[in-house]
Amino acid sequence: MKPRIPLASIVVLSLVLASGCGGGDDSSAAGAATAHGAINVWLSNNAQEVAWGKQVVQAWNAAHPTEKVTAQEIPAGSTSEAVISASITAGNAPCLIYNTSPAAVPNFQAQGGLVPLDDFADGTSYVTARSGESAAQYKSPDGKFYQLPWKSNPVMLFYNKKEFAKAGLSTTAPPLGTYTDFLATSQKLVSSGAAKYAIFPSPSSQFFQSWFDFYPMYAAESGKQLVVDQKATFDSDQGRAVSGLWQQLYAQNLAGKEAYTGDAFADGTAAMASAGPWAIAAYKNKVDWGVVSVPTQAGSAEGQSTFSDAKNVALYTACANRGTAWDFLKFSTSKEQDGKLLEMTGQMPMRQNLAQEYPAYFTANPAYKVFAAKAAHVVEVPNVPASVEMWQAFRDSWSNSVIFGKEDPNKALADASAKINNLVK
Amino acid sequence: MKTRVLGRQPVGLLLSAPYAVFVAAVFAYPLGLAVWISFHKYIFTAPGVSVPRPFVGLDNYTAVLTDPAVRRSFLNILIFLLINVPLTVGLSLLLATALNAAIPFRTFFRVSFYVPYVTASVAVVGVWLFLFGSGGLVNQVLGGAAPDPSWLINGIWAMPSIAFYVTWKQLGFFILLYLAALQNVPKELYESAAVDGASRWRSFRSVTVPGVRPATTLVTLLAIITGANLFTEPYLLTNGGGPSGKSASPVLLMYQRGIEQGHPDIASAIGVLLVVAVLLIAGVQRLLERRQA
Amino acid sequence: MTRTISAPVADDVLPTGADGTVKRRGRSKWRVFALTVGALAFLFPFYYMIVGSLQARSDSSLLGALPMPGNLSLGNYREINAAIHLGRSLLNSVIFTAGVVLGTLVFGVLAGYALARLKFRGRGTLFAAVLLLQVVPFQLLVIPLYVQIVRGYGLADSYVGMILPFAINSVAVFVFRQFFLQLPVELFEAARIDGASELRVLRSVALPLVRPALLTATLLTFIGPWNEFLWPFLVTKQAGKQPLAVSLANYISTVAAAATNPYGAILAGACVLAGPAVLLFIAFQRYFVSSDLGSGVKG
Repeated sequence: MKPRIPLASIVVLSLVLASGCGGGDDSSAAGAATAHGAINVWLSNNAQEVAWGKQVVQAWNAAHPTEKVTAQEIPAGSTSEAVISASITAGNAPCLIYNTSPAAVPNFQAQGGLVPLDDFADGTSYVTARSGESAAQYKSPDGKFYQLPWKSNPVMLFYNKKEFAKAGLSTTAPPLGTYTDFLATSQKLVSSGAAKYAIFPSPSSQFFQSWFDFYPMYAAESGKQLVVDQKATFDSDQGRAVSGLWQQLYAQNLAGKEAYTGDAFADGTAAMASAGPWAIAAYKNKVDWGVVSVPTQAGSAEGQSTFSDAKNVALYTACANRGTAWDFLKFSTSKEQDGKLLEMTGQMPMRQNLAQEYPAYFTANPAYKVFAAKAAHVVEVPNVPASVEMWQAFRDSWSNSVIFGKEDPNKALADASAKINNLVK
Repeated sequence: MKTRVLGRQPVGLLLSAPYAVFVAAVFAYPLGLAVWISFHKYIFTAPGVSVPRPFVGLDNYTAVLTDPAVRRSFLNILIFLLINVPLTVGLSLLLATALNAAIPFRTFFRVSFYVPYVTASVAVVGVWLFLFGSGGLVNQVLGGAAPDPSWLINGIWAMPSIAFYVTWKQLGFFILLYLAALQNVPKELYESAAVDGASRWRSFRSVTVPGVRPATTLVTLLAIITGANLFTEPYLLTNGGGPSGKSASPVLLMYQRGIEQGHPDIASAIGVLLVVAVLLIAGVQRLLERRQA
Repeated sequence: MTRTISAPVADDVLPTGADGTVKRRGRSKWRVFALTVGALAFLFPFYYMIVGSLQARSDSSLLGALPMPGNLSLGNYREINAAIHLGRSLLNSVIFTAGVVLGTLVFGVLAGYALARLKFRGRGTLFAAVLLLQVVPFQLLVIPLYVQIVRGYGLADSYVGMILPFAINSVAVFVFRQFFLQLPVELFEAARIDGASELRVLRSVALPLVRPALLTATLLTFIGPWNEFLWPFLVTKQAGKQPLAVSLANYISTVAAAATNPYGAILAGACVLAGPAVLLFIAFQRYFVSSDLGSGVKG
């Protein structure tokens, strides 16, 4: 039988070669920093943020009829990075995305998808004037700002007053300041039957989950980012203390190891939760809650740090009318609009001296005051290349050693540290 | 007979043209690109941005094959397939045969086996957790015999638990395939078997099973393919990788490395290896089948 | 010549007594019992979903599996409808799914027939493509596919863009091919000998017989796009075009936390999503009966 070269495989082969030579196909004209015209923006689909976004867009469009802004929603959550990455690649990303995760910025930057705000005359000055010192954490390794720090949700410890009372613990000054107290309280909560678990952060192995169990406590303990100057910082006494505490919690079944459908704190299954001010609206009629800072070894102090859980705004290279985009960005992060964001969503705009800037709001909503104070002391995820990979490596090692107890946590930390040092070189 | 350039019935080209065009227009480029990417150092970039994309030969494949997490994920899938495929083929044929008979409330029974297939995993998994969670119904019934740690967080039982869950969930689909095939088994064969004095089991083995052989091929093949491409269930049931990555699947790792971490080159290498592995398994299965026939 | 059947018979063939009534064997009672147990095991999660969706307050204890009169309400359905406009989302799902099913039935039958019964150049390659497409995981292709469809073909935010990657289901092509392979080759040969052109053979021999395969293929093809989340999510940003699976996923990831009974609301959405699929199956499955079965049969 004569060997026949299937026709289709020739077609495929040529397509493969052609796609390889692709690389830079039709490059869409990159808009100059001064071009003005209609732009597109994306908001997260959190209902309150959408409401805020709509009124910002309306206000802008009324004042700038020739530079109309259209807003669309994309889901917040683990898939939003996939959507943004895909649209960067396809060249149809919008001008601004009000849901850019700081951990994803290095990747988007490497893809050539982000415009440095330094390109604008008042770019850097605007960012630093608005956010003050904490802006420095959002600079990329090349010293430029590829994102504007927009809002944060400083992570604090919520506790269920009813369940604490049931366990015989004080609800106004709960013993949660030191690790020893925290552990003892957790044991009491579970052994007295007040709650099934003391605390139930998601045990999922997704890369960002460490931001809600390990990182807030590590930030409080050390004030440092996970990686500083291209070196992992957590293979230290502080890192070991945090992982030691969590390992105890999991080993004694005070924290759940299985998947849980729903919110364990809202359901009363867990007596405590690490969450930010967004949770106040979510827990409103479900839990009689109180909030304190996360514990540290020595006892929680006023000025201790926590994880920021920030979401930022970035300007994408697919944008043609970058002048309008920058103007709109400044408009939507003005004092007035930041105030509206605060009112409508309860999340903390990353503006200096938040409590002093909006005294009326905090008088009317004292529950949020403590978060405003915390907002001045937030630690962000490190802005390094391979940041997602770094967090995944950390989470895998955490999962294995702390959650499932298959490895000694100290050794796991050391191994993860070595691995991460390699990644962020 | 002279061989014609386009084959004996060139109208076949016409009939299959829409499908061929569909494949070429939609999948040829992405598939070709994916394979090409697996041999280069590659990231997805915005249009007009050019980054060096050097050819790296088999480097990506070496990196993938020496990565213990990836190797473990392939092993996990193998465990999954060893449990899921035989169970699926056996149970679905037995159930389809039973559901093909004239029994009271047949519609109700057929629907009840099909229902898990159409319900979104994300909703159904809550029920599964309710049953198999550490405080769940099954453990309460088993009492002391329950495994500790419990099913879904147990290094040995995590993947088998997922295998049972997926088998249960997909069964309706395969029962459907068998139901359709059973309509084609001539009734006379059953009658003559009955006349020959065959028991029900005997007639099942010698009439039903051979009669639905093409469906068995299809069911086995599809079970292998969907099993190999497992993605959402490990996430939903065992939090992603499960204890020590014992329930991670290759596609999960592909998603993590390719889309979350921005390394499509590594992800493509995993993907190509997965496709090759599945084709091999399918090929072996076909060989075994031909031997049996 | 009649013959009394005294030996045990396969239950697929119903023995008829002298008076013409259908006699059931005692053993089939066990079969029904086993099936009932199995059916309950399969149905329980769905039942639990329905009960959960009707709960006003989330109750995850063991007792919560029973519908507690004090805890039943349609509130979850109302909440999720307020959040995501169930009607519009369902319509989008229907459009998306119908497009895929139509494309598959029309072009898949043709391709399946050609692969089974016609010899033409490239047949082997095409069949290899059918297999390959089934094997390749979607996650491998998703970003280049997205670039191709959105940039290459400019189909963002459109139904066509949603439908295109799923337009012809390869499994269905495989099923059609198998189906045509199983038909006796004499049927086709006879028509060919009679001088019919290939298209004539297709029209008058193959197509009239294909109905059972059409039903199977519909049921197979339908569920993919109906439950598909990632692709429509990528391709459409306009909430007005998103199918129910996407709206539901959006809802789960954000709004749900604020609902009175978040998990109940999710279950309500899932029940709505599953409903039409179940109804479709109920409607179609009655065609899966052998046409030879006696008319006195119940079911």
